[in-house]
Formats: sequence, structure tokens, C-alpha cells
Amino acid sequence: MDFAYILDALPDLMTGLKMTLIVSFLAIVLSCLIGLLGAVLRTGGIKPLQYAVTAYVEFIRGTPYLVQIFFIFYGLPSLGLRFSIFWSGVIALTAWASAFQIENFRAGLAAVGRGMHDASASLGLKRWQHSIFIILPLATRAALPSAMNTIVATVKNSAYLQAIGLVELTFVAVDRIAYDFRAIEMFASICVIYLICVFTISGFGYMVERRLSRPFGGR
Amino acid sequence: MTAKEKNSEMVDLEVAVELSGVDKWFSILQVLHDVNLTVRCGEKVVVCGPSGSGKSTMIRCINYLEKHQKGRIVVNGTELTDNRKVIDRVRQDVGMVFQNFNLYPHLTVLENCTLAPRWVKGVARKDAEAVARAYLERVRIPDKADFYPSQLSGGQQQRAAIARSLCMNPKIMLFDEPTSALDPELVREVLDTMAQLASDGMTMVCVTHEMGFARQVADRVVFMDAGRIIETAPPEEFFSNPRESRTKAFLSQILH
Repeated sequence: MDFAYILDALPDLMTGLKMTLIVSFLAIVLSCLIGLLGAVLRTGGIKPLQYAVTAYVEFIRGTPYLVQIFFIFYGLPSLGLRFSIFWSGVIALTAWASAFQIENFRAGLAAVGRGMHDASASLGLKRWQHSIFIILPLATRAALPSAMNTIVATVKNSAYLQAIGLVELTFVAVDRIAYDFRAIEMFASICVIYLICVFTISGFGYMVERRLSRPFGGR
Repeated sequence: MTAKEKNSEMVDLEVAVELSGVDKWFSILQVLHDVNLTVRCGEKVVVCGPSGSGKSTMIRCINYLEKHQKGRIVVNGTELTDNRKVIDRVRQDVGMVFQNFNLYPHLTVLENCTLAPRWVKGVARKDAEAVARAYLERVRIPDKADFYPSQLSGGQQQRAAIARSLCMNPKIMLFDEPTSALDPELVREVLDTMAQLASDGMTMVCVTHEMGFARQVADRVVFMDAGRIIETAPPEEFFSNPRESRTKAFLSQILH
């Protein structure tokens, strides 16, 4: 293993990492918002919306992620929807992550018992007040562990976007290997970099989880 | 207005809750059959009966947690309809305590008690907290105000839930098996709190199997079976001389 070579490649890798982080960050934020909204629609009373969200989740879960990326980048332009590589990447990653976040938040909503609704109704709270003050915090706490998993997977799955030429971490590594054939150095380096990212995120996740669950013990 | 009309209106005002001819179905299962019950202001009514007899469903209809399909329910002069404003008005007058407490686990006891007064009645935070602390004092857990529900014993949680309800200043309190989820040694403290509330003149409808409480506190005991009110009587009469065979069978099962 040639550490001098890795050092030499580091600035390039950092450029790639920056793109990985930007795309992942956008996808994580958007997918959490869409996930929450989708979960509400899926459990809400409006049948057509309920079916639409279910169909969306089943489509994303039932098709390969790589195919979804190609569909968005190569398929949509023939329907007149053309996005840059960057936005295609953001859309593909968000679309994938949203389906899983919808399921995570749906489980979170299901974990908020019927009793909370009874309590709020009997106290005269309006539906929106019950949603904001009671359901949202409780559902978020319940959904947090699995939502964190999906967030970590979102970061890792940004690597697929090298397939459409997005210059992110994996793309940079593969690109340099094509010139210098230093496969072990490059793949080892990006593995370490991904691991650092993932550990940082999951460490942060555990911290939040512990903090939020402190007052209510085993519940 | 004639004297007679005036008189009948005054009688109406004394009625806190009136159910007449109430039927309820859960899809094809009829759970309430022609239920008629009048609760006067200040009266304490204990509802008992075997499980699945419709006791909980009946009191849940009083604050519209369940919707009845036939008959009339009038609460403090307001007839319950599916109109939001009507429901909100009725719920302002009716407090409810649940078997499983249903405290908000992510809020402290004090926050549990002040949320509704602040957001439903628009009471300022300071005032809401002062009222809440007074009620927590009254249910004898003033030192638990800043604790989370999971840090309290079951009996303390249920008393906190009673305080939370009282903070909305209800005229009628509904209790849905308030001691059924408690360890036996914690039942007493909750029943004492309820008895104290009763002696303060609160109108109360309690679904409970605590026959000692019924004897001590109730003005009337209502016995339900299979969705019908079978028998209504003052406690002495109800326990010593039940009329209906189903009541006798039930009492022989629960009084050892």
C-alpha cells in the first residue's frame, strides 16, 4: 500500500467527499420531510392519496436503485424532463430514501397509541394542536432508530451516482484508478472515508436517541 | 313564559347529562341498546357490569369520543351532534380519566397539566402553572410537577391525570375504570382522590369495579349487561337487594 500516493490523491478525494456530503445532505433533509408528509398521507383518510403513496413506496422498494437512477437521468429527458447530473442525482437519491423514510415514519405514527388521541380529544385540543404537540414528537422518537438507519444508507447509496457521472467520492476513486491503477489504495481510502462519515452520523444519532428517550424509560 | 315552563327549564338546568334512547353499533355489532340515563348536577353515578357490557362505550359517548347512531345525548343543555363547535363546547365541560392514564410521556406532569389550558383556553403560562400546581397539591403530588410520567408510580400517574383534567375546570368528570391498571396497593390513593373530588360536589360518572367505592361515594349504581342498562338503584338497595337475576349473578361473582 503506497501511502504517499494516497496523500497525493487526498485533495481530489476531498473534492469528491464534498460532493458526496452535499448530495447526501440535500437528500436526507428532503427525504425526511417527504417521509413525514408521505406517512401522514398514507395513514390519513384520503383514499386516492393513500393509494398513491403506497404505490410509490412499492415501486421504489420493488425496483433496483440503479435502474431508478438511470430512469431519472436517461429516461425522463425523453418525456421532456431534463435535469443536470447534480439534480438528477439529488432527485434519485431523495426518491429512493423517501420511500424508506415514509415507512419509518409510518411505523412511528403507528406507535403513538389511540390513548393519546383520547386524552387530547377529551381535553379539547384541536387536531392540529394534537398533531404538533403530541403526535409529531412521539412519532419522531419512535421512528428515530430506523430513520437513522435510512440516513446512513442514504450517504452510502450516494456512491451509485457515479454511474451517471456525478463527481462524488466513489467517482473520484474510480476515475483515478483508470489512470493510475492504484485500486487497493483508492478503494481502501474511500472505505475509510465512508466509515468516518457513517460513524459520525450514527454516533450523532445515538446521542439524540439517548437524549430524547431519557425521560420515558422503556416506553 | 308561564310558571310551568320556567319550572321545567330550571329542572333542565339541573340535569348534567341525559342519554335517551341511545343506540350504538361498531359496524354490525350493536354495543348499546336503547340506553336511558339521567345524571343530575352534583350526582355521583357508578356504572358497573361484566366486560364487554358497553360501560366504557357509554361514557365515551358522553364526550363524543364515540359517536352514537340513534337517540339523544344532552350535556349541560347542549345536545351532541357531529358539529365541531358543539363537540368542543361539550368537551370544555367534561373531563375524562382513563384506565391507562394517557398522560403525554414526553411532557412533564406540569406540562401535561398546562398544555390544554394554555392552548384551548388561552390562559397565560404563569396562570396555567399556578392553577396546575394548586391541583397537583390537591391530588397530593405537588413535588412531582417537574417529573415525567414514567418516573411516577401508577397511582401517582393516575392522580396526575385527574389533576390534568381538573385544570380545564370541567363541570362533569368521567372515569373509565381508573384503577383497573393499578397494582392493588395503589388503588386506595386514587379512590381517595376521587372520593375527595366527590365530596367537593363534582358531578361524576365512574365506570369501576370498586364496589367499596360505589358503596361509599355513589348516589346511584347503574348495572349494564350486553349493551343495556339492566338496573339502576341507590347503592344500599343495589347491593343488599338487587332486583334482576343478571345483577344478582354479577354481584355474586365479584363480591367474595
